Amino acid sequence: MAAVCTSRTRQMMGLLRILRNFSQNERLLSTSVLRHNVASDGPPKFTPPSKPVIIDKTQKEASLRRFLSPEFIPPRQRTNPVKFSIERKDMIQRRKVLNIPEFYAGSILAVTMTDPHVNGNLNRFVGICIQRSGKGLGATFILRNVVDGQGVEICYELYSPRMRKIEVLKLEKRLDDNLMYLRDALPEYSTFNFDMQPVHYEITGDVPVNLLKVKMRPKPWSKRWERPKFNIKGIRFDLCLTPEMMEHAQKWAEPWRPYDMLKEYDTSSLEEHIFKEVHENLRK
Amino acid sequence: MTALTCRFIKLADGLLRGAQVTVCRVGAALQRAPVIQCIRTHRTNTWWDEHLTEDNASFLKKVVTEEYKQQTTDKLNPLKDEPWPRHEWAEGSRRVGLVAVKLGMMPVWSKSGERHVVTMLQVQDCHVVKHLSKEEYNGRTAALIVGGKNISPFHRPEGYLEVFRNAGVPPKQKLTTFCVSDNAIIKPGTPLYAAHFCPGQYVDVTAKTIGKGFQGVMKRWGFKGQPASHGQTKTHRRPGSLGPGGDPAKVFKGKKMPGRMGNIYDTNHGLKVWRVNTKYNILYINGSVPGHRNCLVKVRDSILPTRLENNKNPPFPTFFADGDKELPEDLFDEDVFQFGQPMPE
Repeated sequence: MAAVCTSRTRQMMGLLRILRNFSQNERLLSTSVLRHNVASDGPPKFTPPSKPVIIDKTQKEASLRRFLSPEFIPPRQRTNPVKFSIERKDMIQRRKVLNIPEFYAGSILAVTMTDPHVNGNLNRFVGICIQRSGKGLGATFILRNVVDGQGVEICYELYSPRMRKIEVLKLEKRLDDNLMYLRDALPEYSTFNFDMQPVHYEITGDVPVNLLKVKMRPKPWSKRWERPKFNIKGIRFDLCLTPEMMEHAQKWAEPWRPYDMLKEYDTSSLEEHIFKEVHENLRK
Repeated sequence: MTALTCRFIKLADGLLRGAQVTVCRVGAALQRAPVIQCIRTHRTNTWWDEHLTEDNASFLKKVVTEEYKQQTTDKLNPLKDEPWPRHEWAEGSRRVGLVAVKLGMMPVWSKSGERHVVTMLQVQDCHVVKHLSKEEYNGRTAALIVGGKNISPFHRPEGYLEVFRNAGVPPKQKLTTFCVSDNAIIKPGTPLYAAHFCPGQYVDVTAKTIGKGFQGVMKRWGFKGQPASHGQTKTHRRPGSLGPGGDPAKVFKGKKMPGRMGNIYDTNHGLKVWRVNTKYNILYINGSVPGHRNCLVKVRDSILPTRLENNKNPPFPTFFADGDKELPEDLFDEDVFQFGQPMPE
C-alpha cells in the first residue's frame, strides 16, 4: 500500500516537473514567436494579454461589522418622519467632512476641538466614553478622565462644527451601556494616559467586551447603583454590599417592566432601512 | 339615528332682561307673554358613509382626491387662472403670511461656533382662500383669508366647505385672516410656499398653546408659594392673600387665581428665520414656538419696530413658483454654518 502511494507520488512529481518545464518552454516560445513576427511582418497583431486574476485580499463587505450609530434611530414619538429624514441628510453631509468612527460606552477616545482660548487653537482630550445620548444632530457623548487627581468629564456634541478629529484609541464594550458609576468607583478605573497609543482593532466580527467589574469607593454614592432600575452588571457588589442590602435593594424591582407592551419599541426594520440609506449616501 | 329633542325658539318679541322664563313640556304653548317656546324636532346624527355601500364610499374617496389634485394643478397654471396684477414692495406695505405645521426642533450652529435651537415649520398645502376688501373687513385695511393643511370634506359642515368651493381649493384644517395693504392682495386660490420668507428676516408666530388643564397658581401665574417647613400648616402652594383689606372690601376683577391654563392663542414675536428648504417647504425659525408637535401655526412678518430693517425687500406680494427663477434646495442665512462647507475657525 505504502509502496503504491510512493510510486504514485513519484509519478505525480514527475508529471509536475514536466508541466513546469513545459510552461517555461511555452513562455519562451511565446516571446520568440513575437520577436519572429516583428522581424518578418512589421507591426504585430495585437493579442490582448491574459487577464490577471485578482485575489481580493481586503475583506468582503458582507463580513464587515454592520454598525449604525445610535443617534440615527428616531425616538418613539408622534413626529412626522419627514423631520427625521431631513435631519439625517444634514448628519450624513457632516459625516462626509468629518469621520465619526464607531465607538461604544467603554471605548477610549481622543477628541480634538477648536478652542479660541488656547494658543494653537486646538484642544485635545483623551478619556473613556461613559455615556452616549441624544438623537439626531444634537447627539452627545461624555468622556471621563482623571487629570492630576481631579476627575474631569466633558460632554461633546458629535456634530458640532468645532470638532476637528475623533480617534478611537481602544474600541471595546463594557457590561453596561451607561458607565456613570465610574464617578463612585476607585479613580484607577477612570485614569487614562493622554499619550496612549491607539490599539489595533478588527473591522470584522464582534466588538470585544471587557468583563471588568469595578471596585467602588465606600458609600454614600451619587446614585444608589445597587437598585434594579439601573441594572448594572459591571460593579463588584460583593465587596461593598452585604447580601441583606442587595435583597433590600430588590424592593424597588419592577418585574412587570419587560411585559409592558406599551413600552415596546421594535427598531429592527427601521434600523435596516436607515442603515441602507446612510451607507448609500456616504458612499456617494 | 333620530332622537326626539326640544328646540328652543326665541320669539320675535325679544327677550326681556330679567323676565321670568317658564319652560313648559313638549307641545304645550305658553299663555303669558312667552319669551321662549319649545317645539319637537328630530335630530339626525349620521356620518357620511352610514347609508352608503362600501363601493360608493370608496368611489367617493377616490373621486374627491382626484378632484383636489386637479384643483391644485389648475391653480398652478397661470393661463387658466388669470392672476391679479403684482405690485412692488414699498415702505409701510404689509404682505400676507403663511399657515404651517410645527414639525419639531433641531440645533443649528453659527459660523462663530455658537449653538442655537430652531423649530422646523413645514408649509403644507397653503392657499389663499378669500379676499375681503377694506369695506367688508374693518374699514381700514383689506384682508386675505389663508388656509393650511388639506383635510377630507366628509367630516365638516356644508357651510364650511362652501368657502373652499368658491375659491376652487381643497378644504383646509385651519383658516386665518391676515391684514394686508392694498398693493399686496392676491387672487384666491394661489398657493403660498415657504420661499415667501427669506433667511435673515424676522417673523411672528401665533398658535394655540398646549393645554395644561386646571392648574394651580404657582404653575399658572408663577407665584412663589410658601416654605415647605418651619411650621407651615397645609399651606405650600396657595395664593396667600387676595388683596388689601377693609378699604376696597372686595377682590379686584382679574385677580390671578387657579384655573384652566393653556389652549389659548399666543404669539412669539421677533423670531429669526435661519434657513428655508424650498424642496420640502420647511422654515427653520429661531427658538421655540407655541403649540405641540404637528399643530398648525400662523406665521407672518414681524411687527416689532426694531426688526423692520431686516424685513426690507421681501418677495412681494408673495413668492410665485412661475418657473423662470429656479431656487436652490436650501437657502441659508449668511451666519449659518452649513455642514458641507469647510469648517471655519
